[in-house]
Amino acid sequence: MASTSTSTLSRKLILKSSDGEKFEVDENVAMQSQTIKHMIEDLDDINSPIPVSIVTGTILSKVIEYCKKHATEDSDSDEQLKQWDKEYANNMDLNTLYYLLLAANYMEIKGLLELITQCVADMIKGKSPEEIRAHFNIKNDFTPQEEANIRNENPWAFEN
Amino acid sequence: MESLPDAIVQYILSHLNNAKDVTSCISVSKRWKESMPFIRSLYFPRNVFDTSSMRDCDDTNPDEIILKIVMMVVRLEELVVYCPFSSSGLAAWLNVANKSLRHLELRMDSLSEHQISPENSSSKLDCLGIAKNLESLRLWGVMMTQSPKWETFHYLRNLEIVGARMEDHTLVDALHLCPNLNRLLLLGCEGIRSVSINMKELEECKLDFYGAGNNSLTISCPKLISLEIQGCGWMRVRDTQCLRNLSISNSGGKVYLVDFSKLVALETLSLRGVQWCWDAISKMLQWASEVKYLYMKVEFTGDFENLLPFPEIDFVEFFNAHPKLQKFDIHGAMFAALCQKNSLKSVDSKFSIPCLEEIVLTVRSPLNAEQKMSTLESFVKYARNLKKMVIKILQMKSSHSSTDDFFEDICRFKYMNRKIVRIE
Repeated sequence: MASTSTSTLSRKLILKSSDGEKFEVDENVAMQSQTIKHMIEDLDDINSPIPVSIVTGTILSKVIEYCKKHATEDSDSDEQLKQWDKEYANNMDLNTLYYLLLAANYMEIKGLLELITQCVADMIKGKSPEEIRAHFNIKNDFTPQEEANIRNENPWAFEN
Repeated sequence: MESLPDAIVQYILSHLNNAKDVTSCISVSKRWKESMPFIRSLYFPRNVFDTSSMRDCDDTNPDEIILKIVMMVVRLEELVVYCPFSSSGLAAWLNVANKSLRHLELRMDSLSEHQISPENSSSKLDCLGIAKNLESLRLWGVMMTQSPKWETFHYLRNLEIVGARMEDHTLVDALHLCPNLNRLLLLGCEGIRSVSINMKELEECKLDFYGAGNNSLTISCPKLISLEIQGCGWMRVRDTQCLRNLSISNSGGKVYLVDFSKLVALETLSLRGVQWCWDAISKMLQWASEVKYLYMKVEFTGDFENLLPFPEIDFVEFFNAHPKLQKFDIHGAMFAALCQKNSLKSVDSKFSIPCLEEIVLTVRSPLNAEQKMSTLESFVKYARNLKKMVIKILQMKSSHSSTDDFFEDICRFKYMNRKIVRIE
């Protein structure tokens, strides 16, 4: 009995990144991605590497780090897990966050997508439009007239 | 950021709800402006419009600004408004968002407005009826001296009112229009004298009534799991088969009468107040025979004005009647009552307190010191699973030598049971 349950728990999958890097992970870690879950269902041979086509090795290793932590969540309290999430997200630079977003979206990992979108939203909070554009390197594509109109409609929002 | 697909940008921006952030985002770029209508939640802080342009300019008022932002959002589910607004403004935004709106939280500020125009404040309350799909409604500062003119809120599960002036019949009328509530919170409510709450879906109920503490309350809610009552002198609660947590306190007056039935599912019981009739306490303890965690902080008993100490409680009988007790947190009066009887002199050898793990108790005086010491020792002796005992010693009045002796005895007791006992 015990040996069957251990063997299902420790079944390994191999994930292959877009740049050819291979990662061996426990099935329950990989299954947090809905996309991979669906791929495995259609797969005859789970020993062959599963391609995660748009995600590079650097990003995939970070995704796996998140999934590993959340696959064993019962060992930590919710509080500890939240703290871990926070530190995990805070350690990323903006570029990594974008790629993580794309990866979480493609791999359908709801928790990770929620975490990173919230982290980016927190960077927006309290900033003026100019500060937001500078922080995220966004081009202002309004004409001066359009921009003036928006400001005139909401004068209260553009004061400190 | 520019390379992210629209759906992800919308997802990020949907985490924003503060009106000022939302307005800033609209002005960032065309794509961001087009993404903002997909947010689900809006929050207007107390001082959001306290800016010099609002003061200088008479033709922009907060109601219109809120309306414009609410109109921009395609599917607004949550709206929180802490800044001042008028009833006509409220009606206008609710008319725009009423189909999708699920959660509404408003700082009504009607209590202070009342002196100026009573019609206005009651119509603010009446306007809420427009948002008929609400699941959660939270209100601060509500004037409900007239019954609200609502249609039935069929989907409302959570109602919270903090700070209200109401009357018995207006509360009953309002609750009648919220028939499917799971959760009801009324904090700091004035004007209630005697009220009856019968709600078939209610699971959590917290009532805090202002006044002399002599209100009367009848509750009949068969799914009730958690009940907290503050400020009532008479309480009758029926259909208690699901009740797990019960807390009754009365800081302003006396608890005269409690009428419950046997509390078969009760796990936590908290009794607090200056004075309870002894009959109310002893009945409560009888009904709560299944309780696991008992918290008692009632100072005195007595049916009349006189504040009386607790009568004697038989130690062995008490713990035999509450076999599931795990945590026992009692104040000085209850501890003194447990120490008075000589029930410990001839204890049946089979007697034990099987589940008790934690005791917190307060010692007020060195009176009866010998009995108190023997009671403390009995806890350690009969509660075999006891892991922690905290003895709180209040400043004992007399500087008499008996105080010192007693204190010494307690310290010795602590020393003998170092692993379990702590003195505070």
